[in-house]
Amino acid sequence: MECIITIELGTNAVRVFAFDMNGHVIGSLKGYYPTFHTEPDYSEQDPEQIFITMLYVLKNLLNERIHPKKYKVACICFSAAMHSVLAVDKNGNPLGNAITWADNRAKKEAQELNNSPLGDTIYTATGTPIHPMSPLLKICWIKNSDKERFRLTSKFISIKTYIIQQLTGEYFTDYSIASATGLLNIHKVQWEPDALAYAGITADRLAEPAPVFTTSGKLKKAYQNSLGLSPDTKIIIGSSDGCMATLGDGVKGEGKASITIEDSGAVRVMGDKVLQDKQRRFFNYLLTEDCYVSGGPTNNGGIIFEWFTRQFGFFRDPFDIEHSMQELMAEAAKVPVGSDGLLFLPYLLGERAPIWNANARGMYFGLNIKHERNHFVRATIEGILYEIYSIGKTLEEHRDIKSISINGSFGTIPFCTQMLADIFNKPVRLRRNFHSVSYGAYLISATAMGIYKSLDDAARTVELPDVYRPQKQNHTVYAAYFNIFERLSTQLSDAFEAIVNLQQLKA
Amino acid sequence: MFPHILELGIRKNVSIQLNAFTLSATEGLRIYHIIDGKFEWRINQRQYVFYPGDVAVILPGQEFGSENGVLEIGSFSWIHISIQKKNNGEIVLGKWSGLSESESLAIGKILLLNNSPALVKFNEAGKIFKCIQSEITGQEIGYVTRVNHQIDELLIQLTRQLTRQVNPGRDFPKTFMNLEQALRQNLAHQWTVEEMAALVGLGTTLFTERVKSYSGFSPINYLINIRISEAIKLLKRPDISVTDIALDTGFYSSQHFSTTFKKLTGYRPSEFRKIHLRNK
Repeated sequence: MECIITIELGTNAVRVFAFDMNGHVIGSLKGYYPTFHTEPDYSEQDPEQIFITMLYVLKNLLNERIHPKKYKVACICFSAAMHSVLAVDKNGNPLGNAITWADNRAKKEAQELNNSPLGDTIYTATGTPIHPMSPLLKICWIKNSDKERFRLTSKFISIKTYIIQQLTGEYFTDYSIASATGLLNIHKVQWEPDALAYAGITADRLAEPAPVFTTSGKLKKAYQNSLGLSPDTKIIIGSSDGCMATLGDGVKGEGKASITIEDSGAVRVMGDKVLQDKQRRFFNYLLTEDCYVSGGPTNNGGIIFEWFTRQFGFFRDPFDIEHSMQELMAEAAKVPVGSDGLLFLPYLLGERAPIWNANARGMYFGLNIKHERNHFVRATIEGILYEIYSIGKTLEEHRDIKSISINGSFGTIPFCTQMLADIFNKPVRLRRNFHSVSYGAYLISATAMGIYKSLDDAARTVELPDVYRPQKQNHTVYAAYFNIFERLSTQLSDAFEAIVNLQQLKA
Repeated sequence: MFPHILELGIRKNVSIQLNAFTLSATEGLRIYHIIDGKFEWRINQRQYVFYPGDVAVILPGQEFGSENGVLEIGSFSWIHISIQKKNNGEIVLGKWSGLSESESLAIGKILLLNNSPALVKFNEAGKIFKCIQSEITGQEIGYVTRVNHQIDELLIQLTRQLTRQVNPGRDFPKTFMNLEQALRQNLAHQWTVEEMAALVGLGTTLFTERVKSYSGFSPINYLINIRISEAIKLLKRPDISVTDIALDTGFYSSQHFSTTFKKLTGYRPSEFRKIHLRNK
């Protein structure tokens, strides 16, 4: 019996899944690795710890679930968070930690490029919003502020490229991750000269872009031995977590959108055309040469409700946040739709799409003397989901969205899923106990191995049996409040800037 | 009878006194409990304000007193306990203590690591002080044992309060980050699960459960993760010997390091180093 292993190098953890050839999960394990914030805007991870954690988890899964049942591992397929940058020297050894997507040190570089006409050219060519998350701007930051590291760097690669290079010795970056660097021309699928020049590098200082199905050499002998894998195990470079989640939900084709809400969130569509937006609100990333995953990301997903729970939950047992969140959700359910006019802006972490304002801040609006504690709970959840809707609504200016799929730990809480259906006024589909990112990686592997003829065929087989249908009367209430939510989020930008200036003064 | 109690006292100060409370450092562990009034004291070069119910904890060797020697109006009680400092910097209680060796070590470690000398609203301390005083005055049968029990009790409550203050039991990601930092700062130390759990302020069973569900690893396996990751970084630098790397990252010996490393990566440490330094 053969099986397929998928490895997701996520924001906080590595998740390893084993699938049989029909796409049924045989087993899964996860392993956490830390993010270091040594300076206020910094967000870094240790590539060696990620590598060791990945090896450890993979080895445990193989020893516990795969080898005892005599499965033969046909391939291992990778996915990873986008936008990471790791500088390596001529020996391939890391020069410091990897800089993650959440890192904001390149604020100044982002502002400069945003205000220059080149910003438009580069955004249109590369599909990556001009934002500190973009590897283009992180490399600029290293060039400007860490000259020694810039000089010693042989290659600027992503975390995933590093992990696969450790295993096989070869440097590849898949089209999806490459298209999220702000350096790849997504129309021609090659490095964009303007962007390279802006970063002050030549193409040989990046890993070679390759299709998501590419096999990266052979597993090194030492790892064949320690993992108990055969030399013909294929190492497939795979894609990014965002593209995988969209594919895993079967969103290929007209009229579909996929929403992810974990700590952060995103709304995505897939198609054969780039979304051209004059206000540069969307990303356009590549799944394959002729398939674009487009959409907008938010900083403020489930992490905001976790913040709320930590402040106002009951915590009967130490650190039992899950139970405390459940209790709060139950309280929220008792409050009428629309929280009797209490609105919440969830911008505690600044915001990306659709307002792209790092200075945005949170707010409760419309408080009156009749509001009680429970109203705050419900308003908080509604605010997080209004923000998701505001991304969806801007996407609808470009695409017709008929049905939505949801994934991620926060979005798939039944209370939240129903609320999304009501706010969007569209049916929302999902599958319980399903991990969209890993399933996307399974579909890519299965397609690479010839089980499916194409990704379109593969995506068509995805079934999301649970449907939440919109309730018209609820939608009417939400729509009226959303109108005010949207006005607040755009009209407050002066006040946002003023308060942030004061907050930073104090810090 | 109580050589480990260096001082035990209570003071009611009715007028402001000059040069009555100057800065000093001693070898004992000093604990002060505020009964009434408001005191501005300096501990280990930092200024703190204490209100009734608060407790000040001064570690051996730390400077403590009022900056200009002024003693404000109010009353407080205190105890100075002699504790042993081992060569490696660890502190342990003496033979008088009924605590087990590992618990005693853990308490010493938490006092050193969670270095927050001001405990807010910790009235249990006042009750224990009172009890110790009345036992010593009364000298009824069994009082020696009871006094020592009370000191143990004081240190246990103090440590629990300290960890609660640092980890209020809501934010596991942050608490785990603090723990991870403590482990990294002292990677060569032979950490036990009990010590780690005590740092977080949980019992070992609940601690192991929380760490496992959050990180996917048992506490000890998570620690091995950090050890190997740090070792890899050191192996990629030519200037430190494999034996030193093994000991610095907390392995018993280079043999133990080599076996663990090879099991996970398939390479012996020296092989691994050779491959990654080939161009130099």
